[in-house]
Amino acid sequence: MKEQRGIRRKFPVRMQKKLVFLFMVLVLAFIALVGRLYWIVRENENGYQKQVLSQQRYDSATIPYRRGDIVDAKGTKLAVSEKVYNLVIDSKVMLSKDASGVEKYLEPTLEALGSCFADLNMTELRQYITGHPDSSWYVPLKRLTYDQIGDFQMLQAEENSLIRGVWFEEEYMRMYPNGSLAADVIGFSRSDNQGLYGLEEYYNDVLNGTTGREYGYLNDDSALERTIKPAVDGYTVHSTIDVNVQSIVEKYLLDFNEQYKNKAHEGNGAENVGCVIMEVNTGKVLAMASYPTFDLNDSRNTDALIGSNKYVQEDKENGYYEIKKTGTIINEAVLAEMTEDEIYVNLNNLWKNFCITNTYEPGSTIKPFTVAAALECGAITGNEHYTCNGSLEIGGHTIHCHNVWGDGDVTVEKAIESSCNVALMKIGQQMGKEEFARFQEIFNFGLKTNVDLAGEARTASLMFPVDQMGPADLATNTFGQNFNVTMIQMISGFCSLINGGNYYEPHMVDKITNANGATIENIEPRVLKQTVSESTSALIRQYCKAVVVGANGTGKTARPAGYVIGGKTGTAQTLPRGNKEYVVSFMGFAPVDDPQIAIYVVVDRANAERQDDAKYATRIVRNILTEVLPYLNIFMTEELSDDERKELEEKQLEITNMYTRKPEDDALENLEGDSANEGENIGEPTGEEGTGEGGSEEELQQPKWMSFPVDPGTGYRVDPETGKKYDADTGDAIEEGLDAMGSDIPSNPNIVNPPED
Amino acid sequence: MATTVRRTRDVQSNRMSGRARGGDHRLTRGRRKREQSEYFFDYSLLFIVLFLLGFGMIMIYSASSYAAFQSYGDAAYYLKKQALAVTLGLIAMMVVANIPYHFWERFATLGYGVSVALIFLVLTPLGIESHGARRWFRIPGVGMQIQPAEVAKLAMILFLAVMVCKMGKGVRTIKGFVLMMVMPLPVVVLIWKVTDNLSSAIIVLSIALLMVFVASPDYKKFVAMGAVAILFVSLLVVYVSRLDPSTNFRFRRIQVWLNPESDSQDKGFQTLQGLYAIGSGGVLGKGLGRSMQKLSFLPEAQNDMIFSIICEELGLFGAIAIILMFILLIWRMMIIANNASDLFGAMLVVGVIGHVAVQAILNIAVVTNSIPNTGISLPFISYGGTSVVFLLIEIGLVLSVARRIQLKEL
Repeated sequence: MKEQRGIRRKFPVRMQKKLVFLFMVLVLAFIALVGRLYWIVRENENGYQKQVLSQQRYDSATIPYRRGDIVDAKGTKLAVSEKVYNLVIDSKVMLSKDASGVEKYLEPTLEALGSCFADLNMTELRQYITGHPDSSWYVPLKRLTYDQIGDFQMLQAEENSLIRGVWFEEEYMRMYPNGSLAADVIGFSRSDNQGLYGLEEYYNDVLNGTTGREYGYLNDDSALERTIKPAVDGYTVHSTIDVNVQSIVEKYLLDFNEQYKNKAHEGNGAENVGCVIMEVNTGKVLAMASYPTFDLNDSRNTDALIGSNKYVQEDKENGYYEIKKTGTIINEAVLAEMTEDEIYVNLNNLWKNFCITNTYEPGSTIKPFTVAAALECGAITGNEHYTCNGSLEIGGHTIHCHNVWGDGDVTVEKAIESSCNVALMKIGQQMGKEEFARFQEIFNFGLKTNVDLAGEARTASLMFPVDQMGPADLATNTFGQNFNVTMIQMISGFCSLINGGNYYEPHMVDKITNANGATIENIEPRVLKQTVSESTSALIRQYCKAVVVGANGTGKTARPAGYVIGGKTGTAQTLPRGNKEYVVSFMGFAPVDDPQIAIYVVVDRANAERQDDAKYATRIVRNILTEVLPYLNIFMTEELSDDERKELEEKQLEITNMYTRKPEDDALENLEGDSANEGENIGEPTGEEGTGEGGSEEELQQPKWMSFPVDPGTGYRVDPETGKKYDADTGDAIEEGLDAMGSDIPSNPNIVNPPED
Repeated sequence: MATTVRRTRDVQSNRMSGRARGGDHRLTRGRRKREQSEYFFDYSLLFIVLFLLGFGMIMIYSASSYAAFQSYGDAAYYLKKQALAVTLGLIAMMVVANIPYHFWERFATLGYGVSVALIFLVLTPLGIESHGARRWFRIPGVGMQIQPAEVAKLAMILFLAVMVCKMGKGVRTIKGFVLMMVMPLPVVVLIWKVTDNLSSAIIVLSIALLMVFVASPDYKKFVAMGAVAILFVSLLVVYVSRLDPSTNFRFRRIQVWLNPESDSQDKGFQTLQGLYAIGSGGVLGKGLGRSMQKLSFLPEAQNDMIFSIICEELGLFGAIAIILMFILLIWRMMIIANNASDLFGAMLVVGVIGHVAVQAILNIAVVTNSIPNTGISLPFISYGGTSVVFLLIEIGLVLSVARRIQLKEL
């Protein structure tokens, strides 16, 4: 066939054949690809199916739970979790373009942010957004309340709103409406809902709920479905603390501090002041407070450290370390030089609950326990008489009595009333050390009380081991030296002594409810053991009453007007002996015939020239009980003297003023009130009104020291024979070496001074 | 009456060898021609193309609706744009089909020049950069974007078809062969280097090769060329596979092809996700619209990787059905080429066959990781306005060639 040339020629057959060949090649290529597809499916079908399912992300999100509240016995909120909002900026979305490709969200959004959040640094924000256009998570403001974000959310919700790229992340913030009130009891919680100290730590798991989750999953049809598992809010903890009692207590602890701070030296009124009020017949703690304290809402504020002793951490071998007290008192200048670690050591010390964590030698407040143990084991009957010459030779040591002149003939009752060390040492000898140690354990000394608070100290190693106890050791133990206790141990044991012997486990929480208010758990009072018999208990109540109302009672200044209470004072020496540093305390109960509450106040090394005066504690007790007893509906049983009536009326006026005065009157009232109060009822440690009644009785008896002439230079009475000085009003010896225990008395090597537990 | 005639002729015109005709066909030549130009139309080809377009749009919607809604707030965003391009393309196709294809002959050289010029246009401010390469330019005022590589493919088909015809017996000589191989090279290199579009360059080169293969009488040269190419590629692959992947990045693409898991989060991500889609689809697939890989895992799900979504949703079954449709399309065009009234028409159709077949095969090969990953779209199905418009113009050319088929006596 002749081929045509040019554009009009035919498509030649050889080309047609090549095209058919090409077609077949192409078909082969397609077949090869089908083979490849088949191979992929056959080899990998299951594996790839799993792979596809596993890489699906179901954008699950957690929903925060609300940590439960802590409320007091009356339902007043002590700790609450409030929902707060973090402002989240999504630059990527804010800078995104709309459907027509125009960036039009940035300016309206910034404008709205600027108008609604005054705290927002707009220049910084704008810089961040333009500088990080791919950022989706920037939080310029944290913890905004619902009210604060309300305006912005209104703008955001408007139709045609051009606000984009702003979100609010929800979280809960722990708030303490009463600030520092009951700080030691409540503790605080970190932002991750981990409680630190107190109820927050002890009931951490109860308070915490379960985090909810929002998640997607693939159903049988491989469609994405969403499910929300809601968060379960934490339970509410109902504390036995009564906010009113607690605030009365804290008011007077603060009063004490205000009165004595910077008195003898720079610093707080005392290294520690603690007070616990407990229901005698249930073990419920109504108030527990200590000073210095801190603001729960601002627990890291170092201002709270000012006035306290500085503590340092000394690292030892093998990772051990010791917290040591220094002589330095923290003030602004010291604070400025402290490192972060040092501040943390001191904050940790501040956050501790003095009432359960610190241990100390109780001193004479232990005497009712010693006497009760002796009565209970039959060593004494209560009718014994002892002779006190002011000191006793035991084991080659001379151990002095509180009264250096000697109490003369002392009954068991008088031994407690006038706190006679010699009589107690003799009672201890009658008991023997085994019985004494057995009863220490019965009274739970050396054991934990298991109070439901975090941080209770272990005192097992701080007792005097019975197998090493010599006669002198037993003797000092009988009046509360050479072993350590905690406040909570003392008051729990004391409650059992006066309530007929029922040792209640001390507790801070009596009910746990869920977020809807339904009761989850009731915590009933729990009797752990019978410590003494009812008859012993009655005798102890009688002896303790004598301490407050008896002629020679050491605790007369603790009695509130209109009431009769029982109790026992304590003045304990600290280590090293002879350092002139004392822990004074008063432990009492009211009313005396039908005890309802027990109160225990400890003043740890008051800021005064003379620290060994139990009136530091009794006066606080008196002030507290004057307000607390009427509040608890415990009625007055005694006639009021004119002075007492006047005092109560003034106090009433003061309280009324406190709640009614206007802020503008504040400054003025303060000035007037302060000067008036000072003159009236606070007075010097050796104040007249408190002992007024007793003073006249004492005059009748005319103790020997009363006849000594007063030295006009020092104000002390001086014994003309020996030249020794005595306090003009109490007759207490001023010189060194007249403590109950001189430095020659062996001390328990295990025990430590209170803050160094 | 007319329909009967047309159908019979349709059938017979498909035959390669002439036979004794029935009475109907004993018509004068002039009348026959007139009737053909009036009535003959290759509906089979049209239906195959329409099916592929329709199926493609369904798959584009299925593959892109999630991503489109995420990005644009409109699930049908890509579908609408594609529908507009398809409409434009169909109109263009009908226009071209009704213009005698010889009309285009005179534009062959011009088209070559224009396509080169358009490639350079992407470097001007009209050019649009996307995915790190400048492959598009904007037509000002209309809001349309055009990929010059697509224009170049059409221009190359036209240019080579005219060239084959002009050379006549010259194609048999070595000189002619070399000339035909050299002419497309400038365009190929420009597409590769200027628009950074290796895949389009490969396609233009392949179209040229296939057209030269059909035009050239020789097999030996091509077998030799193929053998050399295979040897070279094998050596390269062996060389690359021996390299330490952590230190040598020159042949990253090939290393990833050999072992996509080695770089599953970056370069191998798309390939692996495509394979996951194919594998998880199984034989019958998860069902239309049930793909999970399209939920923002598979990049370019509506574009280059649409075949893997077809595999995932419709399984091996759907994939083979689509491959069969492509084979049918190519077969139909081969029939038209072999019955074309002249060499020019036939070569035009051969070029279109080359374009459609090479692009389809390479796309499926990429998706199945049979060759290294390079961006090639699946003809008629993948999302892409320029591509579908120019493909439909090419189909218009084929239809135009089909209309001129003469029932010649052999």
